[in-house]
Amino acid sequence: MPRKETDLLGHDLSDNEEQLRAVYRELKQLAQRSDLPPCAARGVRKALACMWQVVNDLDLEFEQLYDVGV
Amino acid sequence: MIDSPYWNPKNETMPREELKRLQLFKLKRLIEWAYERVPFHRRRFDAAGFQPDQLKSLDDLRRIPTMTRDDWVTAQTEKPLWGDLIATEPRNAIRYHLTSGSTGRQPLRALDSTKDWEWISEMWSYGSWGFGVRPDDVVYFAFGYGSFIGFWGAHYACEKIGALVVPGGAQTTERRIEQILELGVTTVYSTPTYALRLWQEAVEMGIDLAKSKVERVIVSGEPAGSIPAMKRQLEHGWGAKCGDTAGMTEIGTIFTFECSEQPGGTHIIEDHMYEEVMNPASGEPAPYGELGERVVTSFGRGFIPLIRYRSGDIVMRVPHNTCKCGRTSDIYDGGIRGRWDDMKLIRGTNVYPRAVESIIREYDSIDEFQIYVWRDENNIRDEITVRIELKPDQQAEWEEVRERLGKDLAAAHEGLRFNLELMPQGSLPRYELKAKRLVDARPQAGGLQG
Repeated sequence: MPRKETDLLGHDLSDNEEQLRAVYRELKQLAQRSDLPPCAARGVRKALACMWQVVNDLDLEFEQLYDVGV
Repeated sequence: MIDSPYWNPKNETMPREELKRLQLFKLKRLIEWAYERVPFHRRRFDAAGFQPDQLKSLDDLRRIPTMTRDDWVTAQTEKPLWGDLIATEPRNAIRYHLTSGSTGRQPLRALDSTKDWEWISEMWSYGSWGFGVRPDDVVYFAFGYGSFIGFWGAHYACEKIGALVVPGGAQTTERRIEQILELGVTTVYSTPTYALRLWQEAVEMGIDLAKSKVERVIVSGEPAGSIPAMKRQLEHGWGAKCGDTAGMTEIGTIFTFECSEQPGGTHIIEDHMYEEVMNPASGEPAPYGELGERVVTSFGRGFIPLIRYRSGDIVMRVPHNTCKCGRTSDIYDGGIRGRWDDMKLIRGTNVYPRAVESIIREYDSIDEFQIYVWRDENNIRDEITVRIELKPDQQAEWEEVRERLGKDLAAAHEGLRFNLELMPQGSLPRYELKAKRLVDARPQAGGLQG
């Protein structure tokens, strides 16, 4: 059985939390790409900043994003 | 969206033991980040013989020396513009702000990135939602939108909440009142002083704001927001609930807010800050119920990490269950009670401007005031005068006000005699942002103080 993912305090994630974290990670990957047009590159960063706050609030991630310009 | 009185139910109602575990987790990450990326902090940690891996408990944080405003200023003076305080290149910032400079001191400069601004507005979202702001609200900002950070974060928070935001901007007080009425504004953000001024000007315009749609006035920027008499005047004048918040440019946002239960204090946003209350003389922690100085470590702004920063704010921390709202974050009873460096010693008696204001605000007939500290002609004896403007229709009350107020002020200050002076209507300064009602005119090496 696959190991359930947890939050920063070791609690199992709810379905909502799993989806939110997946969106955040997807955006973070997109922000590291260099082949996006300006409209996408900057839009992704803005969306990533919003999702960073969501995963920060819900104790799913706590990290800095300056190195990807966010 | 679920219907909740809390912006972030998971953390705002988290058991305190869990909250402390979360704070420790974030502290470790923050300390590692600061040590690795910020020369200013690395230098401080090394000088204290502290390494990030030594942080095993919240108490271990006290092994790190506190930092002060002077440290920040010195770093930026020695190496303009940003000092060695920043953790990443300035090009990663999207905004520059600085402190208000209302004290006449050199302002602090701050940079923030896109995600930092998400966090700044998020703290205001905790406070705004917690005091009842919802997507259907029409929110008015009586704020000039300059380089002082002020209500910028609250503006974005209300947009995030989904409310209709009206930026007051650079307009006359009269025009602002007209807009509040014509747009059906339900929530007003302002300093306490300016909220009072809006109301007073409305009265002069023949407008009763208590009959407007405004349901809440959210104040920040001055300790007065939690003075009961000030709050009572505002709530009566506006016919609305008045909620206090407190923030600082050093973190870019608020760290404490009054919830809609109005417990007589403000909740600390503890999942995003670690706040200590310290006896300023001994440096030891002040227990619940004892006055002390706020020392803040912020988990938000990573651009300029703030670690064990001595704020100068006077606070009294009390347990979360002092309030019945269900939040598990502790409370600053009475909000921010003033600043240690505002204290004036007059003939051996400590005088705090907020304490004086809290007495003056009990007098509905007083329109504006100024505390003037001076020395007699022989340069020996310190004196304190409260200059007072009465409301236009209350001039006949002066003799009674003078007698009663003089007694009240003396009774609260070990019998110290306060001089009281009636000033002509409109002669004292009015304020939109931070009010500066203390003038210390005693001779000093550096000129006028205050």
